[in-house]
Amino acid sequence: MYGMIHRGIRNMVQDKLGEDAWFALEKKIGIGPTELLTGMVYDDTLTLEIVSEAAARLNLTVDECLFEFGRYWIDYASRGSLSSAMELTGHDLASFISNLDRLHLSVGMAMPGSRLPNFNLALSEPGFLKVEYHSQRTGLENFVSGLLYGLIERFGLIGDVSIADSTAGKVVFEIRYKDGHA
Amino acid sequence: MLVQLTDIQLGKLFPAYLLLDTNFQLAGFGPSIRKLLPGLQIGHAFDEYFDVISNDVATVFDIPERPNHPIEIASKCGNMRLHGLAAQQPDGYFLALRHVTTSQYLASQQLELTDFGYADPEIQAIMLIAVQRAMLEEAQDTALELAFERQRYSALLERTSRVSGYLAHDFNNLLSIISLNTERLARAPSTDGKITNLAQIIGDTAARGSEISQSLMALSHQSSETLSALSIDDIINENSAFLKTVVGSKVGLSITLHSGSCKAVVSYNGLLNCVINLLINAREAMPDGGHISLATTVRDGLATKIDDGAKLSPCKYIAIEIADTGSGMNEALLSRAFEPLFSSKPNGTGLGLASVREYAIDMGGDVWLESTPGEGTRVFLHFPIATDAMIRPDDPSVQDQSFDADQNERSILLVEDEPYALEALVEMLEMEGYFVTPCLSAAQALEALETRSYRVLLTDIVMPQQDGAELASKACIAQPGIRVILMSGYVPETAALQSGWMFIRKPLASSELLGLVDKLM
Ligand code: HEM
Repeated sequence: MYGMIHRGIRNMVQDKLGEDAWFALEKKIGIGPTELLTGMVYDDTLTLEIVSEAAARLNLTVDECLFEFGRYWIDYASRGSLSSAMELTGHDLASFISNLDRLHLSVGMAMPGSRLPNFNLALSEPGFLKVEYHSQRTGLENFVSGLLYGLIERFGLIGDVSIADSTAGKVVFEIRYKDGHA
Repeated sequence: MLVQLTDIQLGKLFPAYLLLDTNFQLAGFGPSIRKLLPGLQIGHAFDEYFDVISNDVATVFDIPERPNHPIEIASKCGNMRLHGLAAQQPDGYFLALRHVTTSQYLASQQLELTDFGYADPEIQAIMLIAVQRAMLEEAQDTALELAFERQRYSALLERTSRVSGYLAHDFNNLLSIISLNTERLARAPSTDGKITNLAQIIGDTAARGSEISQSLMALSHQSSETLSALSIDDIINENSAFLKTVVGSKVGLSITLHSGSCKAVVSYNGLLNCVINLLINAREAMPDGGHISLATTVRDGLATKIDDGAKLSPCKYIAIEIADTGSGMNEALLSRAFEPLFSSKPNGTGLGLASVREYAIDMGGDVWLESTPGEGTRVFLHFPIATDAMIRPDDPSVQDQSFDADQNERSILLVEDEPYALEALVEMLEMEGYFVTPCLSAAQALEALETRSYRVLLTDIVMPQQDGAELASKACIAQPGIRVILMSGYVPETAALQSGWMFIRKPLASSELLGLVDKLM
């Protein structure tokens, strides 16, 4: 995956465990700043290696770590320069999710060679959303659950995310939520 | 061709569209309008809610007269600014509108992607710019991280090199003892050819050890060159033919040497490298040919330009000036010229001037540039002249008359904390006819200095309690005429050395040491 994602993982580890923990992780798997170049495409195995090592240090399973990273990514992208893109994507959960492909369209233009997912808001009812996720990759369901959970938090809601169906190339997520202030 | 679209499809393409009937009453509107003007209803008059900017309604909708004319409108409550095209239909008008995309407007109206058509290129560009800006910021952070990593790496390298420097020091001390004593063995009158042979073997092996320690020194960036008082004019004279080849055939080189027999404490090759570096720079400033003048003079004043006030005191110094007739440099280039790795030339390494400066400062001098664009550049390289005591015979008044004059002339205070090395050095120097007072520590040497005067202080640098440089400073105060030779397996911090002191590297080669001592007598 793109180095931007690696930097996100690094920031999560630094935020949760401190800078030294990240240096130790770098040392363990033999990486350094050259594996964190925003605009470089790295092999997915390296990305997964970083996630697994981060999981071990955070005392999480790889799936739990992917979920946590998804959650973290929403918060991470909401800060700094990406915040304006996140703002434009949507001001409520349903419209944000329905605009995700447009967000990634711009990402794809800026990052040639990226393999970006597709999201389709298949059903939108009060307090309930059904989201279809299509990807060329497999094994990232927990990452997506974390991302969607992060979005619930971003819009000040409370709720949960579950996987309703999973077939090759398509996973269906169900989001149940309610207003956080209610 | 007539295209039929549902309201939803129309809303996806133009989320801020308006449909008006022929009386300019609202007949339909897109989802973005509905979101931002919740009170708006079908049948309301267009001009009750909107103003046409810089035009009136009748003109704008005079479509046969003004086909494809752009239209810009604003909501009366001030929360919307839209622009687009108006098209006439059998039953009214279709206004294909979109929100303006100034960043201020985008931020103040809390707009999102759904307020813009799916294929709207402008909003896509805005998103793209946001992503690219984030990437750029991250790239800048990465550049800093890489620079930091480089620093960490060089700090590590420095530590490693310091360790190898210490190792080299100890190793050189041992080698010094071995080679000095082997020479003693070889000198001892003996009929036993085997001893001579063994001494030869040990001597050769020590020499090989010395090569290994040289590599260690190189690894630790320690210069292994001997520093001594040398005439800069002599160095330049001896190499003038070579220097002329350095500047090449298109460039003329005139050499005017006026520092005569004045000497500065420098290393022969170090000084030569500086001159060569500066000549190469001058040559490269004149790709189409020109002239370089290389001159030396003796001057009085501040040898350095370094601005640390109190430490500077005027002295005599040798000034080397190299002037070219090249294109010169502007202020910006001048200010960066000495930065390591900075080069104004396409193939430059940027190490030339930086290393000249490092060397000049190490030798207690300085180097700087003056340049006028279009007229050329002048480089000034200064080295303090070795103190008089190093060159002229001693002032007789400082000599202790109670000693025999010849004994005084050839007296050496020798300080070395390694007894075996001390013993060998004493024997070697005495064989050459010097009067040697051996001491095992700086404290012993200071006592000796109180009882008589010496011509030369020859001292090891690294010693327990008090080091050789400290001892030498005290000796120079006690006996201003004394000449100092420091010896060490480790090249000392030049800051600890005074100008005029000489330095010889261990393992000691007896011929080099005797040559140096002889020069000072
Ligand atoms: C400004 C915000 C965002 C940026 C810059 C961004 C950028 C990226 C990048 C660079 C990749 C890796 C593509 C590759 O290297 O092949 C990626 C993947 C992904 N993104 Fe985003 N993203 C953003 C927001 C989101 C959000 C809000 C979601 C939420 C649900 C999301 C979901 C995903 C998923 C699931 C993947 C994994 C790719 C796969 O399934 O193959 N992204 N994104």
